[in-house]
Amino acid sequence: MLAAAVNYSWSQALGDMAQISPVLVVSVALLVAMILDLVLPPQVRGASAAAVSLVGLVGAIVAALLLYQSRGHGAYSKFATGDDFAVFFHVFFAVLGILTILVTHPYLARRNFLQPEFYILLLAATAGMMVMGSATSLVTIFLGLELLSVALYVMSGFARRDTKSQEAGVKYLLMGGFASAFVLYGMALIYGATGSTVLATIAQAAGSDTGNNLLVLGILLLGVGFAFKVSAAPFQMWTPDVYQGAPLPVTAFMSVGTKAAAFAMILRVFGQGLPGLSHDWGALLAFVAAASMIVGNLAAIVQSSLKRLLAYSGVAQAGYILVGVLGAHGAGQAAVLFYLAAYLVMNFGAFAILVVMSGPLGDRDRFGDLDGLGYRHPLLGVLMTLFMFSLAGFPPTAGFIGKFFLFAAGVSGGYTWLVILAVLMSVVSVFYYFRVVVHVWTPPAAPEARFAVPAGAGLAIILSGVLALVLGLFPSLLFALAQLGAAPVVAAGG
Amino acid sequence: MLTTLWVLPVAGGLLIALLPRHFAKWTAVVVTLVELGLAGFVAYSFDTSTGGYRWVEHVQWIPQIKVDYFLGIDGISVWLVVLNALIGLIAVLATPASPEFRTSRFLALLLVMQGAMTGVFMSVDLVLFYFFWEAMLIPAYFLLWMWGEGGTFVAGRPAANVSRGAFPPQEGPRPLFASLKFVLFTLAGSLLMLVGIIGEFVFTGASSFNLPDLAKHQADPVIQFGLFFLFAVAFFVKIPVFPFHGWLRDAYLAAPTPMLLLFAGVMGKTGAYSMLRILVPLFHDPTWWWNWNGVVPVLGVLGIIWGALMALAQADMKALVAYSSLSHMGFIVLGIFSFNAQGQEGAVIQMVNHGLIVPALFLLVAWIQERTGTRDRGALFGLAPRLPVLAGVFLVVTLAALGLPGLNSFVGEFMILLGSWAFSPGLTAVASIGLVLAPIYMLRLFQGAMYAPATGELPHGHAGHQEAAAPALVDLRGSQLLLLSPLLALMFVIGLYPDLLTRVLTAATLGLALPWR
Repeated sequence: MLAAAVNYSWSQALGDMAQISPVLVVSVALLVAMILDLVLPPQVRGASAAAVSLVGLVGAIVAALLLYQSRGHGAYSKFATGDDFAVFFHVFFAVLGILTILVTHPYLARRNFLQPEFYILLLAATAGMMVMGSATSLVTIFLGLELLSVALYVMSGFARRDTKSQEAGVKYLLMGGFASAFVLYGMALIYGATGSTVLATIAQAAGSDTGNNLLVLGILLLGVGFAFKVSAAPFQMWTPDVYQGAPLPVTAFMSVGTKAAAFAMILRVFGQGLPGLSHDWGALLAFVAAASMIVGNLAAIVQSSLKRLLAYSGVAQAGYILVGVLGAHGAGQAAVLFYLAAYLVMNFGAFAILVVMSGPLGDRDRFGDLDGLGYRHPLLGVLMTLFMFSLAGFPPTAGFIGKFFLFAAGVSGGYTWLVILAVLMSVVSVFYYFRVVVHVWTPPAAPEARFAVPAGAGLAIILSGVLALVLGLFPSLLFALAQLGAAPVVAAGG
Repeated sequence: MLTTLWVLPVAGGLLIALLPRHFAKWTAVVVTLVELGLAGFVAYSFDTSTGGYRWVEHVQWIPQIKVDYFLGIDGISVWLVVLNALIGLIAVLATPASPEFRTSRFLALLLVMQGAMTGVFMSVDLVLFYFFWEAMLIPAYFLLWMWGEGGTFVAGRPAANVSRGAFPPQEGPRPLFASLKFVLFTLAGSLLMLVGIIGEFVFTGASSFNLPDLAKHQADPVIQFGLFFLFAVAFFVKIPVFPFHGWLRDAYLAAPTPMLLLFAGVMGKTGAYSMLRILVPLFHDPTWWWNWNGVVPVLGVLGIIWGALMALAQADMKALVAYSSLSHMGFIVLGIFSFNAQGQEGAVIQMVNHGLIVPALFLLVAWIQERTGTRDRGALFGLAPRLPVLAGVFLVVTLAALGLPGLNSFVGEFMILLGSWAFSPGLTAVASIGLVLAPIYMLRLFQGAMYAPATGELPHGHAGHQEAAAPALVDLRGSQLLLLSPLLALMFVIGLYPDLLTRVLTAATLGLALPWR
């Protein structure tokens, strides 16, 4: 090991850095934004931080696209990689970051929040997510997980004068720390059982040795931590409180980002590191999936806050996505990636509309606040309807095709009972998604003033809406990309 | 060509949403006229010498999982496409163009629904079929909810206090409740069908979603048993078949008349059509605990009797027609599952017939309500002397509905019973009770409203929109008669010359479409 470190040549260093270049670009942008925050006059700090963040994220997309199909072999002694799976998630998180910045900029000004700090934390969280996308070792996975989580703990409590936001921050910190401890303990046990933290080596050592209790216990603990991060039942308790308390843009970012990062981690660890033990973790995940769909959908019915409703809907959606994780080899992983992309546009779009609606005093997330949206802003009303139909899984939207892929993978993977449960729970979900639609198209009690829709936020919302429709009508291109992205995880498992 | 058939109404609908009211209506008329012309052309040029699909359009859609954009028309679907176009035109013409009605949006949704239903009738790929099947729910939901009786855009009710607060609302005229009930019922069925579609792909070993391919791959009877159920529930709810008709009364009562024409006239047929198109060819032997092919006709017969009995008990004329529709759909199901050429041909003919009669009945009921202000059968009497034309038209439609020889329904019902007799004489005998009950409730309705001796004051309508003081009992206007005339004419034509429909069906029997056993 020491000899390897001594022989670490410049060319190898550059090669390794090229493999993780998107993460590096974001990190550099993060540092630049921090320095500019120190040297620039206060008036322009926010705008400059936003600009630097945007440039950094666009740069990350470019860097990721340069890596596309480079068949990354694993950098830093196979601790990280730039394979297509990583590329898919790099682009995913960069797009999420860009959309978040577009939506957030006017929001921060309206609510009089600290601007540069927000963007810096956002970049840190995005970098953490990207690390999780490219990590191929338990150590780097944990590194990304913590980077992402710590940034989000702070962002959840970003509305400092709002006690609910403070509560969200603290609750998320405590529960998140708890989950991290589970993950770490699980990783330690797996290391103890296999003698390595590198996933490829673990896969060789573990084989299909189901008799190793240490390993099974490690998987169990790891599964608990993962379930917490994707907010799957029975570890979903933090989700509604944190989603409700955190400022809306943070909720929007977190609801998509954390979930996608955690699914990247699940696919990597279970698909690439422990494929031989799928019988063990399959049972665990099937239970978690079923519980999430039931708890999430039933609890969402009775919510009176839109944030909480979307939080529980997120719990349910995590259950649907887990069906894909369990599903047929190859088709399942691709379906998960496709659905995550669909989830990005539809869930973020719905949250973005709430962000635009929020006033200077706080977020407006009661059902009554939506009344008459369709008459005040017909386009926003139509788009909100579209996002809800997509979340509910109606054609011709991305949500339908995504669910179709997930369920198809689930049935061919032998989990027909789980798919039937998912389908029945989807019927339940229609009830609360339609409830939102009903309020959008209910005439308001008193005529309300139109609120201004900032150009950037409007662009982000319209883009999400167009994508939600286009991905539903012409899904084959994205699905091809999802298949390419899933290939590394599938090949290792096959 | 077939793509145009479904894209035209959808695109037209999206355009119309942006147009002002009067302009929207005439644009919609033009769109539906062109649609009818195209559908008529397809039917006219239909080659009856061979079987199989015509006008096929087959391109890859999602090649990774072998989902194709595969459209085709054969003998079963061609008349339903024409029916859909015709009823669509009539529905558009029957739409009022008043400011509070939001005509543009209404017509836009109506046309999108029509386009989606056209897609259902033309899809040969199961995923594409499901796509259209679900897509037609969305406009139907909005139409039922917002324009339903007591809904947001209906005159005589302040818009502000509609459906605020309680969700779902529980009392009074409740279109929101009815629409949600309809959507949830339908969705429960159709999402199970989605599992069934995936199951067909996986478990039959066909690895395809094309109906012709799937028909060649018959799965194990036990698997067929399960898949049959998953598919059938969706169709049971949509048609509706006897124990699955819970949404029917609420939805039909709430539906605005122009939408109801398409809703009752065509959407119910999508379910019956899908039974013939999917259940019959794909599942030759769905047997495990029992044989589904034997159970479904029993449900159909139960529906015939139950619908007729419920129709007898209704005071509300709209509800009466709704339940009579349940009864008639039972005949269609019986015909499909009699598994012989006569029964299934009769079923297709009856789908078209029912699609002509039910819209006519609902239109007449709406016009009577417009003139008298009530739909209560018991409150009406002696209208015939004052409204002679309406009474005459009503008589024709009533006689058609109860199956008088010489009118269209007789042909279809006769063929169905002939076919089902070969299948099971006992069931046929029971089903015939429905034929006896139909004249009872239909003639009671007609005689009561039109010829009963006066027993008091006739209720006054709110009809004469402007001339509230003038007597509201005006006879059928020329435009209204014109609206009904194509339906009436077709009732006679099909009744006297059923070969018009059957010659196409005979061609269909030559192909793969209807594998008899």
